Amino acid sequence: MAIKSRDRIRAKLQDGNTVVRILLAHPMHTGRGKNEQDELIPAEFIQDIRCWRNEDEVLTIKCGTATSRNPYFAFQLIGGEAGDVIRLRWVDNVGAKGTAETTVV
Amino acid sequence: MTEKFDENRRKLIKQSISASTLVLVAASGLTIPRVLLAHWPQDAFNAETLEDAILTFLGEAEEVNDEAIQFTIGSPPTYAVNGATVPVEISSSLQNIQRVAFLVEKNPFPLAMALEPTSAMSFPFKTMLKVAEDSEVIAMVKADDKLYRTSRYVEIDIGGCA
Repeated sequence: MAIKSRDRIRAKLQDGNTVVRILLAHPMHTGRGKNEQDELIPAEFIQDIRCWRNEDEVLTIKCGTATSRNPYFAFQLIGGEAGDVIRLRWVDNVGAKGTAETTVV
Repeated sequence: MTEKFDENRRKLIKQSISASTLVLVAASGLTIPRVLLAHWPQDAFNAETLEDAILTFLGEAEEVNDEAIQFTIGSPPTYAVNGATVPVEISSSLQNIQRVAFLVEKNPFPLAMALEPTSAMSFPFKTMLKVAEDSEVIAMVKADDKLYRTSRYVEIDIGGCA
């Protein structure tokens, strides 16, 4: 299952917009890689990521196997102010879930 | 005698009912992840050709090659040392963006990532993708029911699709 959660999320104001950066801790096995014993590692990758600002959903990201290990995302939200809560939830193909939360600075 | 028999019968029925309920609960528990992930477009992500992936995910629409999308891949652009982490950045001046998709032509499954932004989100959007070998990388944006397409060729030193 998923490794111990070290998901990171940062949000800060820049020129009136909110810049959000996300770094998730996930191995993102595609199902084609092999381990030291030359056995296939079963697929395990994040499929669905959703982001909220306060109570509003702002972005959905759907990932295939071609997303890099420990996925990184950066995007902007229009407007926003210090103290807004940015929340994120992810789900992978084996059903593991994670959440991360931060406030805008 | 009959009373005792009856009692046993009741017990048996009771037990069998609770047992079958348990089975039902276990079965539904097992299916929870599937239900949660029902909205993940499996057909599109498992499509093995570029055309299939685009058709399944974005549907048919008139494609417009457009300069309204700024798209860079690799660092420095068009080149990446490690195919396992190829930086991608997209920005666009289009309004009402409904969907954004990244596709890597030579990957086993071309559709790499898809975004469904709302009006609160703005670009640029940055992320990292795995690219198996030198390949065309395509960014498609669906805005106002029109499909916009840009592509870049990226050279990879070490393939990254393990």
